[in-house]
Amino acid sequence: MSSDVILVIVVGTALAFDFTNGFHDTANVVATSISTGAARPQVAIGVASLLNFVGAFISISVAATVANDVVNSAVVTPTVVFAGLIGAIAWNLITWSFGLPSSSSHALIGGVVGSAVAAAGFDAVLADGLVGKVLIPAVIAPVLAFLVAGVAIGLVYRIVGKQRPGTVTRGFRYGQIISSSMLALAHGTNDAQKTMGIITLALVANGTLGADADPPLWVIVTSATAIALGTYSGGWRIIRTTGTRIIKMDAAQGFSAQGAGAAVILASTHFGFPLSTTHVINGGVMGAGAGKRVSAVRWGVAGNIVTAWLLTLPAAAAIGALAYGLTAIFGSGALGPVLVTLMSLSLIVAVFARRSREGGPVPVS
Amino acid sequence: MAVVVETKNLLETVVASTVAGVGITVVFSIAIWGVARFADLSRNERPLAAGAAATLAALAGLGTLAAVAFGIVVMSSK
Repeated sequence: MSSDVILVIVVGTALAFDFTNGFHDTANVVATSISTGAARPQVAIGVASLLNFVGAFISISVAATVANDVVNSAVVTPTVVFAGLIGAIAWNLITWSFGLPSSSSHALIGGVVGSAVAAAGFDAVLADGLVGKVLIPAVIAPVLAFLVAGVAIGLVYRIVGKQRPGTVTRGFRYGQIISSSMLALAHGTNDAQKTMGIITLALVANGTLGADADPPLWVIVTSATAIALGTYSGGWRIIRTTGTRIIKMDAAQGFSAQGAGAAVILASTHFGFPLSTTHVINGGVMGAGAGKRVSAVRWGVAGNIVTAWLLTLPAAAAIGALAYGLTAIFGSGALGPVLVTLMSLSLIVAVFARRSREGGPVPVS
Repeated sequence: MAVVVETKNLLETVVASTVAGVGITVVFSIAIWGVARFADLSRNERPLAAGAAATLAALAGLGTLAAVAFGIVVMSSK
């Protein structure tokens, strides 16, 4: 009975994380379209949420990686997964509060790794999977998006540079409808699957599913719905940073950045790499800026974002470990997760209330 | 280390991303170039050249849509 209560709390927390993931990452998908005037904000966000929902059904490769290749499911309990999720949600809210587009994916993986280490020591971590499927792709993917977007925008300017600017801008604005749709689809395939993987991990840990099981349909549907609702709620604070503060973007740059981001995410998802869509898209935005003129990129803002990226895994791991320690004080029953959930909700309300009082986003430069 | 790093999959990801990201952007740019040239050549009353530009624009536009559809099919086939 107690383990079922914990499982319900874990599933609820995972879906809450999925919602914050969509909320936090809306900016990645729509910011460039909005900032170049390719789409009205509400339309862009509505289409993005729908395609995030659809994308969640396309593949389960990433879910399998998160469930089976990062931590040893034999030593993981639902409480470990719960504490990891608290670490991820807390870090997502902290970075949202400062308007920084950090990675929800790395926060999730960091949180779970931290709580697993706190529970069972370093043997709980599957180093091969963590390094080969998470850390190395995490480094390669944003650099790849930067290079692809940089090369693409260089070629674009060579091809259309002497044509009438009005026609070119209009054309790329139409193109951004396709590229942002692809990006939303890619986001749904990669990010919604992480939550599916985490819920599956909790179900395996609880004995509800066998080891190496695929996510059940209800997990896929609820994860897709949560990320779509989160996306529809929008994260205006980060939209502003991604859309206007890294570079001042034209429609061709927006198209190149989104095209590069979608290509990298979709290719990575195909091979089951749970990479950070945030890192990839911001890499694409920086590449599209640098491809036009290196000084076009506001490197101070970019530096702050990179700092948040580097901090994400260890910070979320530390919060996850702390959350596990706090939960464990109250024993192995449901009391610990219930109290930590109540404390987390109080903190979330406090953060939102503080930001509401302060108004606009905190400058990141 | 060769086992830890999924070299083959990573390499295929790099190649596929580069070909798709750069390829689709270039092909779509050619479509826009075709549309812009079509408008200019039509204004200058050069119907043959304008027709060629329009054909190129249409082919490149279709190429872009085909590439996007191919990407989705490949994604959903695994």
